[in-house]
Amino acid sequence: MSTSRRNFLRAASVAAGAGALSASSPRQAWADPAGSREPAPVKPPPSGDVGLLAGSPLLDAEALATAAIDAALKAGASYADARLVSWRRESLSVRDEHIRNVRRTSEFGLGLRVIADGAWGFAATHRVAPASKTAVETMQALAKQAVGAAKINAALRAQPVELAPMSPLVGQWVAPHGVDPFTVSPKDKADVLIAATKAALAVPGVLHATAGVQAQREEKLFLSSEGARIHQLMFRILPSLSAMAVSRRLGRFASRNHEIAPMLAGWEHVTDAKLDLDAPQIGEDAVRKLHAEAVEPGEQTVILAPSNLWLTIHESIGHPTELDRALGLEANYAGTSFMDPAKTGSLELGGEPIDFIADRTQPGGLATCAWDDDGAATERWDLVKDGKLVDWQTTRDQAHWIRDKTGDKDGHACSYGDSYASVAFQRMPNISLMPGKEGYTTEDLINATEDGILISGRGSWSIDHQRYNFQFSGQQFWKIEKGRLARPLRDVAYQANTVDFWKSCDMLGGEGSFRLGGSFGDGKGEPGQRNAVSHGCPPARFRVNVVNTGENS
Amino acid sequence: MATLTKKRAKAIADTLLGAAMAPEVVVRVRDRVEGNTRFANGQPTTQGDVERLEISVTASIQGRSATVTSNRDDKDSLTALMAEAEELAVLSPENPEHVPPVGEARTLSVDGHDKATAKLGAKQRLTRVADAVKVAKDAGVEAAGFFQHHEESYAVATSAGGFQFWQGTEASLSVTCRTEDGSGSGRGSGVSHLAKAVEGGPIAAVAAEKADLSQSPKAIDTGRQLVILEAQAVADLLSFFVGSLDARAADEGRSFFARKDGGNRIGEELFHTSVNLRSNPADPDHPSRPFASDGQAHKVTQWVSDGVLRELTRSRYWAQQQKAQPVSAPGSLFMDGADVELLDLVRAVDRAVLVTRFWYNRMLEPRSILVTGLTRDGTFLVEQGKITTAVKNFRYNDSPVTMLSNVLALGRPQRVMSRGMVMVVPPMVVRDFNFSSLSDAV
Repeated sequence: MSTSRRNFLRAASVAAGAGALSASSPRQAWADPAGSREPAPVKPPPSGDVGLLAGSPLLDAEALATAAIDAALKAGASYADARLVSWRRESLSVRDEHIRNVRRTSEFGLGLRVIADGAWGFAATHRVAPASKTAVETMQALAKQAVGAAKINAALRAQPVELAPMSPLVGQWVAPHGVDPFTVSPKDKADVLIAATKAALAVPGVLHATAGVQAQREEKLFLSSEGARIHQLMFRILPSLSAMAVSRRLGRFASRNHEIAPMLAGWEHVTDAKLDLDAPQIGEDAVRKLHAEAVEPGEQTVILAPSNLWLTIHESIGHPTELDRALGLEANYAGTSFMDPAKTGSLELGGEPIDFIADRTQPGGLATCAWDDDGAATERWDLVKDGKLVDWQTTRDQAHWIRDKTGDKDGHACSYGDSYASVAFQRMPNISLMPGKEGYTTEDLINATEDGILISGRGSWSIDHQRYNFQFSGQQFWKIEKGRLARPLRDVAYQANTVDFWKSCDMLGGEGSFRLGGSFGDGKGEPGQRNAVSHGCPPARFRVNVVNTGENS
Repeated sequence: MATLTKKRAKAIADTLLGAAMAPEVVVRVRDRVEGNTRFANGQPTTQGDVERLEISVTASIQGRSATVTSNRDDKDSLTALMAEAEELAVLSPENPEHVPPVGEARTLSVDGHDKATAKLGAKQRLTRVADAVKVAKDAGVEAAGFFQHHEESYAVATSAGGFQFWQGTEASLSVTCRTEDGSGSGRGSGVSHLAKAVEGGPIAAVAAEKADLSQSPKAIDTGRQLVILEAQAVADLLSFFVGSLDARAADEGRSFFARKDGGNRIGEELFHTSVNLRSNPADPDHPSRPFASDGQAHKVTQWVSDGVLRELTRSRYWAQQQKAQPVSAPGSLFMDGADVELLDLVRAVDRAVLVTRFWYNRMLEPRSILVTGLTRDGTFLVEQGKITTAVKNFRYNDSPVTMLSNVLALGRPQRVMSRGMVMVVPPMVVRDFNFSSLSDAV
């Protein structure tokens, strides 16, 4: 699809979105995070109410951003973009029957990125108050600093930075949401959380219960020397609930976290989750885990629930398909990749049923938006098809590195910078494992398993810097015997090598079992940046090396 | 661009405290100017010169508290920030564990600011990058790395009359060298409050040498074995130890430091008698901020002496409950060693695995501080006192407390890279270290 065609679709979807939202009943839309139970469409969801962008303080600083771009061009930049970024974060946590912490953070500033003499330069400041007498001079100094640094670095560059051609566009997008979390008072939030911790504490044997909610509001206005102007607003929310049981007699404690996923959504995600109704189960699980049988280590069959498998996808497929990483750009920190770009199209990562798609369009997906931080329109594409690596995560300045292998001229709109003060670079889109065609349920997978372990929830994880060898734990573990859940286990982790693991997958749940998981904390780059990303998958069955992580292992 | 002066930080704090209706207020102001250059495949990739300001207010009204943070320092924004903190505090339920703000506190006098480091820019960064790239090129390997520097002003002011201010600088460089065929990888790094102590050439030379030595690694058996951990590897594990030094978790039966019959294990000999661990913000070579984010003074604290646990961190609330002294979570960790080079440790063993560093370390089991992770960027077999063979990287499952019990010998302590903390620790020889599986990662 040509760039202009993609851009046209985007602009059209914005207009259609505004109408669609007002026509639908909000309560229905909240009941189930829209689309989170089915794989992503080719374009992002229709925009929420773009009226929310009208009174934005970012607009007051727009003239300064323009001044910064102009000054950069004057100083010798061949390209410049400015991102005005405003973040609000709120975190509220409760322990047992009282509040532990209420915290709000806001941050606003401008990052100016330039290309001069074929090298990138970047400078950023929080001093963007338009009323300030020195604001324009600040922008000029910023431009000089960014362009100056680019020119200095150019001396040591072997190849100039190359941007894929793009028609500049103008657009607005607001992530669909029900209730802006920042309009709900901390008291009301705490009430919801304390209802849940109280319900967990009521379970005999539960010593402590904690709950929390983290809310994010990310708003950005992107302007470029090519004429782009993109204004976007995202809300993300992460509820949590955990119960802890302690036995002095056994000298052990066990904690059990709720498996709820963070979403690109508003406060409705928390109220719809009805944590207080799940809390007794969470409490009982913690106690059960405390008294569970220690796992026998060794090679075994495991069924991984989506609430566990999403993170394994993130680490074993997500990170090694970052093109910059595979080409050595992250060698000093996150590492490189076992996947070789030269083997695009032929490298076998799993059996035929294994398909991974990448997208920034998944409704409710944490990495979902309409345009990336290069101003490129987001999309959905195949990463792994019939078990073979077919494409990569790319940005506008990486497209030419892999064009010969994939035929993709534009890059896949994976650029993201986590604040005004961070350089935008390639970050992970939502990446999901496609459900199987047989339509199996989790129960079907269990019934088909003679001897194995069902693992759900997110536990500890670790993986090497080329993504070969990993070890993951979980929240809840059940021994499966003769197709039934026999008894709970504890201290379970599974270790495997990535390709062996995906090749061992012999059963996938069907479309009805597809769920999203995700994290706010996908780390990459130096200085470190955080990206929010979701991964959808069905439950699936594998052969792995089971490890006992208990004290006396 | 310089960071806030003491006078300006005080003025911001006074504006906030002056606007406060809440009886208890803690103000934190952190202003940072930072610069960095990344490089990979022998050329610079991205760079940044960035200013960041963080103004944070915690307001408390009758045990109800809230914290708000912003990066605007004009008078109207400050007044609005204070009002927001108060508004949220009133809405917040009462915290029965609330403690009033810290008052005036004497802190150690610490000089951690270097003018030359504060003045660094893109040009000085590129010099180091060019030096590192040249060393790598001459050695026939590819270099990737990161040079970063910052100047920071940090102030804490409280409604109880406390005011602390500190200005510090830091520069750090890390370099990873890989052979062109990707079969060998090595790393070198350096960090100091003095940029002049962080040079590109020597750091890259270590990385290049290790990349060369680590080529075509052989698989050797997993299982418990004797290891020589370089200082960086020791620090990678010790950071979990520092995070577990909490009195409350111990007293409540949730940690390694909990006694089976209640209470904690202070006074017990938990480690090898050669183990001595302490914190000292005023170390002349490795200074760190002498106060915590609530304004409490960081004191010189001995955590472990001759293998005996001497102290745990204790929040001010928990200290009140236990009628004990509060102890802030430290900003530095020093471990004693011996005046012995790493290669002397190598010469002293018959057979051991030499580990450069650990990577992707994660807690598995907090009670025993069981951690998993992998070796990275140079893992070698030592035989008859010599490094003989490059070996494949391992996954380990082991604990820093076991490491501190199984110490056989210590080397000379050195400053290593560690997140948000000054760490000066020795390389060590440790018996029965648990490698659980192999990784093909180079």
